[in-house]
Amino acid sequence: MAENARVLLPLLLLLMLVRVQNGESVWLNLPSSGTKCVSEELHNNVVVVGDYAVVSDDHEHLTPIISSKVTSPYGNVLHHKENVTHGQFAFTSSESGQYLTCFWADHPAEGVGLIVNIDWKIGVAAKDWESIARKEKIEGVELELRKLEGAVEAIHDNLLYLKNREAEMRGVSETTNSRVAWYSIVSLGICILASCAQVWYLTRFFQKKKLI
Amino acid sequence: METTMKQYAILGLLLLSTLAGDVSALSVTVNDVECVYEYVLYEGDTVSGNFVVVDHDIFWSSDHPGIDFIVSSPGGNVVQTMKGTSGEKFEFKAPRSGMYQFCFHNPYSTPETVSFYIHVGHIPNEHDLAKDEHLDPVNVKIAELREALESVTAEQKYLKARDARHRHTNESTHKRVIFYTIGEYILLALASGLQVVYIRRLFSKSVAYNRV
Repeated sequence: MAENARVLLPLLLLLMLVRVQNGESVWLNLPSSGTKCVSEELHNNVVVVGDYAVVSDDHEHLTPIISSKVTSPYGNVLHHKENVTHGQFAFTSSESGQYLTCFWADHPAEGVGLIVNIDWKIGVAAKDWESIARKEKIEGVELELRKLEGAVEAIHDNLLYLKNREAEMRGVSETTNSRVAWYSIVSLGICILASCAQVWYLTRFFQKKKLI
Repeated sequence: METTMKQYAILGLLLLSTLAGDVSALSVTVNDVECVYEYVLYEGDTVSGNFVVVDHDIFWSSDHPGIDFIVSSPGGNVVQTMKGTSGEKFEFKAPRSGMYQFCFHNPYSTPETVSFYIHVGHIPNEHDLAKDEHLDPVNVKIAELREALESVTAEQKYLKARDARHRHTNESTHKRVIFYTIGEYILLALASGLQVVYIRRLFSKSVAYNRV
């Protein structure tokens, strides 16, 4: 068991280094009790690929197990797994809004927080370059340039998306602006109307009571 | 035996999931302290990123009080500190390789949602070129190009997060305009009705006869 650990630990470290070279992941601190959630706002029709793993450098005990859940903005559960140490999910977003990924520790008896590694890629970054390279038989510099071309296209798409969002927001702002003006004038009108109605009603009331 | 198989399975999965690309801008809810870790592979790598406080429940005040952002190196030294900001970009050269800690501190009791993006950029230098014969000098130029494109992408993610925050404010203003003016109309009508009822009661017969 000990020599296995001695072989596996540098291998694990090497593999983590290889991963980090090709992609980037974020390590999160999971409290021993309670949920830790990460969210992202996505628009429609975006490819999302994610994978998570519990990082444990303690080979004496078993790796702690966690549960995970990925929910769409309308509440649909896209991925749900209990009692695992690692997992993977991939989906295409069908609704635009906030996508929530939550993790929680199943057995909080440890008392110490765990560290979870999350690798979350969307859009162009989620493309599987290995299979594209194999299919089209490109490699080396050409592959790198293809990746850069993909990145530039993603930048262009993002820019168009930002432009559309800004246009929507501008519409909302202009509606609010016109509504503020209109509602204030109506408020003034209601005020005048209420006071006239009061004066007219009270005059009639006092005339009936023969006080005027 | 089973633990070895499980560990090999984890390693296998890690190997399979070597996808190229970047992690996208994740959002995390900061209650008190929230720490995110990122692994820096080479010494001298440029770590860049940004964070924006997206969702806040401030009622009266017009500006966000701000959260604190602290970056610590693997040795425990503080690399960067930003206090009382509601969104900023950061960039620094990693003094050594290892696991860097990016912490958000929320000095107030209301939970805030922070959207962050961290990118570790590596450009091969002559030392790497000498070590690895597969690396061309053109790879250096490609890496520089990739880093430039990454900075554009990072800027776009920052703009997207700022746009999201602006949209929250706009939608809140829109809702406030509608509800508060309708509430104002109802209250106005109620107040004038109550005034009339009260004056009627003052002049009603039973009260008049009880005056001494």
